[in-house]
Amino acid sequence: MLEFCLHVLIMSAIFGIAAVSLNLQAGTGGLLNFGQIALFGIGAYAVAILTRAGLPWPAALLAGMGAAALGGFAIGRLGRDLAAEYWALATLAVAELVRLVALNEDWLTGGPQGIGGIAGLFPGLDGMSRALATLALAALLLLGTALAARRLGQTQFGRVLRLMRENPDLATALGHDIVACKVKVLAIGGAMAGLAGGLYTLYLAFIGPDQLLPFETFLIWTMVVLGGLGNVAGAVVGALLVTALYAGIPFLKDVVALPSDLTGSLRVFAIGSIVLAVLMLKPQGLVPERLRRFHAQRP
Amino acid sequence: MLSAHDVTRSFGGLTAVNHVSLEIGPREIVGLVGPNGSGKTTLLNLLSGFLAPTSGEIRFDGTAVRARRAWQPSRLGLRRTFQLPKLPARMSVLEVMLAGGRLPAGASPWRSLLTPGAVRREEAAFIGKAMGLLAEVDLAGLADHPAGGLSGGQQKLLGLAAALMDDPAVLLLDEPTAGVNPSLRRRMADHLRRIREGGTALVIVEHDMGFIGDLCDRCLALDKGAVIANCRPDELSGNQQVVEAYLGRRRPGVPLRVVAGGAVAGTVDIKTSGARA
Repeated sequence: MLEFCLHVLIMSAIFGIAAVSLNLQAGTGGLLNFGQIALFGIGAYAVAILTRAGLPWPAALLAGMGAAALGGFAIGRLGRDLAAEYWALATLAVAELVRLVALNEDWLTGGPQGIGGIAGLFPGLDGMSRALATLALAALLLLGTALAARRLGQTQFGRVLRLMRENPDLATALGHDIVACKVKVLAIGGAMAGLAGGLYTLYLAFIGPDQLLPFETFLIWTMVVLGGLGNVAGAVVGALLVTALYAGIPFLKDVVALPSDLTGSLRVFAIGSIVLAVLMLKPQGLVPERLRRFHAQRP
Repeated sequence: MLSAHDVTRSFGGLTAVNHVSLEIGPREIVGLVGPNGSGKTTLLNLLSGFLAPTSGEIRFDGTAVRARRAWQPSRLGLRRTFQLPKLPARMSVLEVMLAGGRLPAGASPWRSLLTPGAVRREEAAFIGKAMGLLAEVDLAGLADHPAGGLSGGQQKLLGLAAALMDDPAVLLLDEPTAGVNPSLRRRMADHLRRIREGGTALVIVEHDMGFIGDLCDRCLALDKGAVIANCRPDELSGNQQVVEAYLGRRRPGVPLRVVAGGAVAGTVDIKTSGARA
């Protein structure tokens, strides 16, 4: 049971990073990135390939972040003139493209079998202490990511992103190059998503194309929408909730004797119901975005 | 400062702005008048770089204004406001003001994370400036309220105040007084005069002839996309073409009678104060 809880917490922290990243792009910047899993996947595969080539994991993780940042930069440049809805569809297509490359380029990605046997984190430790160390690392990285995202949302950078989200013409009229802002936030969000993907690979010692299905993007979206678009704490809460549900429901079969194929559908059903309930009862999410006030700084 | 050379803009078959040339000097206040659909807002969009002209060229301070980089004129000191500001519901009034300022440390993601001191100093300076400008338009008390929750008139005032955060050399205003109450409108005229004294030239699209006459050094009247008059505001009512553009052509032999307030007035008066001419 304790091992299971640790597993849920580690996965929550990893997906929390991906959710904080999406929240910065979509919540603050209003960019409907439906290809978030591609950025996650680029980081995950980069780490797998580089550690297999003998790079130590911290270096591989940094390189994975860099690769995913480039990916974010690319989708920002690619769709710079598209209207928001069309750009959202384009990101979905890019994510499928990345998955298909991972599925078919066997020489690099291992094809449908993916890349396994990756030297994971903390090889010197075993069992419980290894899980605890992994959790500490993932939590620390989540904290760092969340603080960075919060900081970026509060300064002029985030202010311009929020103005761009609500009225791009006004942002332009006030002298802000919104294409440059989009590209920057996607590169930053990409680096964060790449970090999450790299950690995922290192923790599970495996990455395969099935981890890059569009459904995974919607899972990350669910976390952000449940928690509250535009609020960093909301993204973390949402990630914990969705991961716990998603990982926990399969264990129901041990408790109430359900067939295992039913539990698989049941978890999707449970998450869908919760999203619906939150959207109807608390449309701003569990931890809604707040206005930034300046009382203390008033001259 | 700001000039247009033979600028034309067509939308399909419709020529919204037709071979317009103009020149705005430093510290000038120029009114842009004309009936609905005469091309005023299109001209403003062209001047500010929000639209590319079909032909012709616009220059600001020696630099060509290009629509591919619509954000650039604003940084060089040519700013505009909108007829409908549509301010964000999830940003406070003060935050919209700060977004109008130039805060290079806070605007850079790296410096936001690595030099919090510089970001804080910069923000404190601009908060002071923003509160001063908000006080001018009676919005200082609402600094922490959502900008999108303000009334239409207040949103216009906030849009104007945010544009002033970077001390523009030329400010293009699209119907600044529509929806603003009369007493605030008078104060706004004083405010705009003070802005001019501070060194800013103003181009004002406006239907309120009283406001225009009170404030402007010069008026450009547009009709069907072309400039039909370039004169002092008090000369507008004597200009046959302008009167016809607003009120329609007089049929030969039929004396023109304008009914105002139930009485039959004998003269043509285009002071259509408050009305949407």
